[in-house]
Amino acid sequence: MANVLRHLPELEGMELGYIQGILKNMDDDQANLFAQVYRARRKDNQMVLILCLLGFFGFAGLHRFILGQIGLGILYILTLGLCFIGTIVDLVNYKSLAYEYNIKVAHETLSMMSNNTNYFPNVNTKTGDNV
Amino acid sequence: MAFFSYFQIQMKRIGTLIRTFPLELVFWIGALIGILFIDPYGAQHFTLCPLENLGFHWCPGCGLGRAMSLLTKGDIAASWSMHPLAMFAFGAIGYRIFELIRHLKTTNHYG
Repeated sequence: MANVLRHLPELEGMELGYIQGILKNMDDDQANLFAQVYRARRKDNQMVLILCLLGFFGFAGLHRFILGQIGLGILYILTLGLCFIGTIVDLVNYKSLAYEYNIKVAHETLSMMSNNTNYFPNVNTKTGDNV
Repeated sequence: MAFFSYFQIQMKRIGTLIRTFPLELVFWIGALIGILFIDPYGAQHFTLCPLENLGFHWCPGCGLGRAMSLLTKGDIAASWSMHPLAMFAFGAIGYRIFELIRHLKTTNHYG
C-alpha cells in the first residue's frame, strides 16, 4: 500500500482521493513508476484556467484543444467561445475539466503499465480492483 | 454540541453535492433545451449574449442559436445562411453530452 502524498504531493481535492484509490493496490516501486508517468502526462488545472482566460482576448477554446476535445475547440475558436458564454461556464468549471482529463490519463497509465511489464498480475486494469 | 456536529455533517454533504454536481452536463442540456424554445423568425430576439448587452452588434458567434433552432425546424437553407456551423455545433455538443454521461460514474468514484 503506497501513500499518494509521498509519490504525488502536488495533487489536491478529488484527484488526490482518486489517485489514492489507485495507489492503494500498489507497492512503492509500482507507485513510483506510476507517479513518474502520471506526472509527465497530467494537465495542471491552472493551465486550463489560463488558457480559458485567453478566450476573452479572442483565442477561445484553447483549453478544449489541450484537453483533447477537438470538436468543441473548433466550435469555440470560430464563435469566440460561443459569444463568451461557453468561456464563462468553463471558467467556473475548469477544475472538473482538468480532473476529468487527468482521470482518463491515470487509467491509460495503469493499462499501459500492465501491458508493458507484468506489474499487476492481480489487478483488473479496467476498474483497478483486485481480482 | 450535538446540534453543531449535525450542522457540520449537513455542510459536508452540501459540499460534496456541489463538488460532484455535473455543471457542464446541465449547461449543455439546458442550452439544447433553450434552443428548442427560440423563435428564429421573430424580428426582435431575446439574447443572453454578454457582448450584445455590452453594445457590440456583431461577433463571430452571432446567429448560432437561431441557426440551430432553424435546423430543428428543418429549414436547412435558412440555417446555413444564418450561421454555417449549426450542424457542426449539434454534432460537437451531442458528442460531448454523450461523453459526459459515459464518464459520470467513473469520474465521481474510484473503481
